[in-house]
Amino acid sequence: MLSLKGIVGGYANTPIIKGIDLKIERGEFFALLGPNGSGKTTLFKLITGQLPLLKGESIIDGQALSSLTALEKAKKIAVLTQEAHVSFDYTVEEIISLGRYPYQKGFLKNLSKKDYEVMESVMEITKTTNFEKKPFRTLSGGEKQRVLLAKALAQEPEMLLLDEPTNHLDIKHTFQMLDLLKEWQQARGLTIFAILHDLNVASLYADRVGLLHQGKFLEVGDINTLRKEDQLEKVYEVQVKTQSHPAIPKPQLLMTPNFRETPECKDFFQSYSIEKNEKYVHLTFEQPLRTISNGVIGDGIQWIKHFCNFHVEKHYNCSEPDKDIQRWMEKHHIPHEQSVGMMTAVNLEDVIVSKKRVGDNHSIMAVVTAGTGNAVDISSKVKAMEDVKIGTINTMVFIDAHFTDGALVNGIMSATEGKVRALQDLQIKDPLSNTFASGTSTDSVVLAVTQQGEKTPYAGSGTLIGKAIGEVVYEATTNAVKKYLKRVKVNDNS
Amino acid sequence: MRNSSTRKFSNRKIIWLYVFSGGFVLGTALLGLLVSSVSVPIPTIFHIILNNSINIGWLEDIPANVESIIWNIRLPRVLLAFFVGASLALAGAAFQGLLRNPLADPYTIGVSSGAALGAVIVLFFQISIVGLGGYTLPVLSIIGGFIALLIVFGLVRLSSRSLAIETIILAGIIVSAFISSIISLIIALGDRDSMIQIIYWLYGSVRMRGWSHVQLLIPFMITGTLILLMHYRELNALALGEEAAEQIGVNVNRGKILILIGASLLTGSAVAVSGSIGFVGLVIPHLVRLISGPNHRHVLPLSLLTGGAFLILADLVARTIIAPKELPIGVITALIGAPVFAFLLMKERIGKGAK
Repeated sequence: MLSLKGIVGGYANTPIIKGIDLKIERGEFFALLGPNGSGKTTLFKLITGQLPLLKGESIIDGQALSSLTALEKAKKIAVLTQEAHVSFDYTVEEIISLGRYPYQKGFLKNLSKKDYEVMESVMEITKTTNFEKKPFRTLSGGEKQRVLLAKALAQEPEMLLLDEPTNHLDIKHTFQMLDLLKEWQQARGLTIFAILHDLNVASLYADRVGLLHQGKFLEVGDINTLRKEDQLEKVYEVQVKTQSHPAIPKPQLLMTPNFRETPECKDFFQSYSIEKNEKYVHLTFEQPLRTISNGVIGDGIQWIKHFCNFHVEKHYNCSEPDKDIQRWMEKHHIPHEQSVGMMTAVNLEDVIVSKKRVGDNHSIMAVVTAGTGNAVDISSKVKAMEDVKIGTINTMVFIDAHFTDGALVNGIMSATEGKVRALQDLQIKDPLSNTFASGTSTDSVVLAVTQQGEKTPYAGSGTLIGKAIGEVVYEATTNAVKKYLKRVKVNDNS
Repeated sequence: MRNSSTRKFSNRKIIWLYVFSGGFVLGTALLGLLVSSVSVPIPTIFHIILNNSINIGWLEDIPANVESIIWNIRLPRVLLAFFVGASLALAGAAFQGLLRNPLADPYTIGVSSGAALGAVIVLFFQISIVGLGGYTLPVLSIIGGFIALLIVFGLVRLSSRSLAIETIILAGIIVSAFISSIISLIIALGDRDSMIQIIYWLYGSVRMRGWSHVQLLIPFMITGTLILLMHYRELNALALGEEAAEQIGVNVNRGKILILIGASLLTGSAVAVSGSIGFVGLVIPHLVRLISGPNHRHVLPLSLLTGGAFLILADLVARTIIAPKELPIGVITALIGAPVFAFLLMKERIGKGAK
């Protein structure tokens, strides 16, 4: 469709674009990325012919762009820029009709029936039909941009050049606009070549991206190019972390500011408060902790300040546990968006808190409630019971350290190993298979880290900290299960 | 189609606008022929015009002096007023479209002054370029206007990157002031008689011009009008800005130059025959745009008709209001135009502030 060969060009004698080769296929969405001043807009102007090429050539459909007249070019390429000032009170329809300029023929150059048909169809697609008689000036930013898009589409171009078309739009209109373009791209095979300043938006919509740096392409490739953090950091000079979009398999970037709030360095064991009663155990930390958990709410990896374990009746109807926990939290004025919530039927008087210092810099605390009525041997072939009894081990581990995401998963493993080992040593058995149990059927775990001090990439049993996690969890679980067994015995006797 | 009814409605509105403007032209023309110290009945007027132009007459015994008044004095005067008004209004509409601002007109951006200087030089030094004969006056006037325009644009280019309208008007005022001083210098060098003659000419008038001046104006007026009317789509496209116009396929540079040439032809020739008459080119297109919408397809021809009719009317007022003496027509247009200009300027500012 479009191929650029060794393009050099820019203003006067200082080339801003210093040699660019690029091939854009028909029907693809190509996003041109790069920081301000990297030459994105200049490259566009070289393609549209607003700036002269110093070297190289740009070829569209086998013809050199420079050999085309303005009219011929307008039938192939339409341009949509970030803002357009329209003077006088032209109506939307009149603006859109300008897109038919290259097709008007005859002496009077009236709009033909075909022109009106095209205008109507693009107005329908861009949802601008409703205000076709309104003056353009009175529209909102999003509406204006849609009208200008309609004008560009009325040119029936093979290729659309977009220069930050969503710059002034809010997220609603940005996504509307890009969804619309994507639709048109897929339905009509329109080729889209867009400058997008938002890398995350580019990742969601583009088929390929090109990263421009000081007038040259650093890399051209599919969207996974955006996973190369080092490259982005070099170009944008911002700390970048790539994550995957939670719903679709595309990278999303998270930027870390250089500015950081430095929290007061308090002793770890002084930096939280704990509230215990028969309804719940609630730990509040002064600073949010980097948390990994499978709690009823607050699951996944997050930053969390509040950690709750709620008591429920033995025959609690668990059809909507997350809604219930949210409601209980609201009742006790705990912000559920910043909380991990678990539930247990175990008597909360039996909660165990174990603390341990590791080396000079690290501290660990485990908060465990345990019941073993539903103890399960994970390796047993017998099907688990339908009838759920009291019996859940809820483990909360708080660590004063700085973990990578990998270390968080390591930490979960270490905590689990500690728990399994405790059940084994206490000879807890799966009542169905009569083998040693490895846990209960509904165990919850949360591992929360302060992210202070030096970063640790590992927290498995081979490391000091991993070992300590296992030890603390082992100790707390052992004590919690012992308390539970004692209470069961007392209840049985009475 | 859902749209056809609304489209028909706006079409009908436009047709009515043309009918109304045409009627306005005929009405004012008839008034211009009719109203005077010597009253001539309407049938006689028609007879004289038709008899002289296409040799159809039905009345006998028209006194020679009456015939002369209508055919040699009033008709050319009315026609000249119409052509001058039409030219200035059309040129104004084109300048406004080109510069994307309703405050531009031949007067405010200095073209009129340049044309006036060209004309004064011809009148004062009695220049006649070989081969042009009587057309020396409009040709030098047009060239003067075009040069002034180039100087104004040059000044704007040098002082700021964008063609901001405030800068253009400011540059127009500077160039106009400079040119006025040159004209004053020329006048001061002359004798008393020519001084009075030129000053009166500068005020603008279509008085005592006759057929020869109509002849001087017509070729340039037709050429300029055709050039501008053929570029209505380019003027519309320029409302998006030059870059965006280029992107929808407009050859912007060629269009701009042709539009400037067309508007300069109209302004220069109008100034050559009638002196500087201000504000027609400013007010008329603006009012037309208020009613017809900004589409140049209609703004241009409607401005032409309305501007012409307006100047016939202004001339009528100028020669009747203090009869038997006459006011210069430029005084009338300025009296009406200046307050309107001030109003537009304030409206523009308020509009910008409110955004």
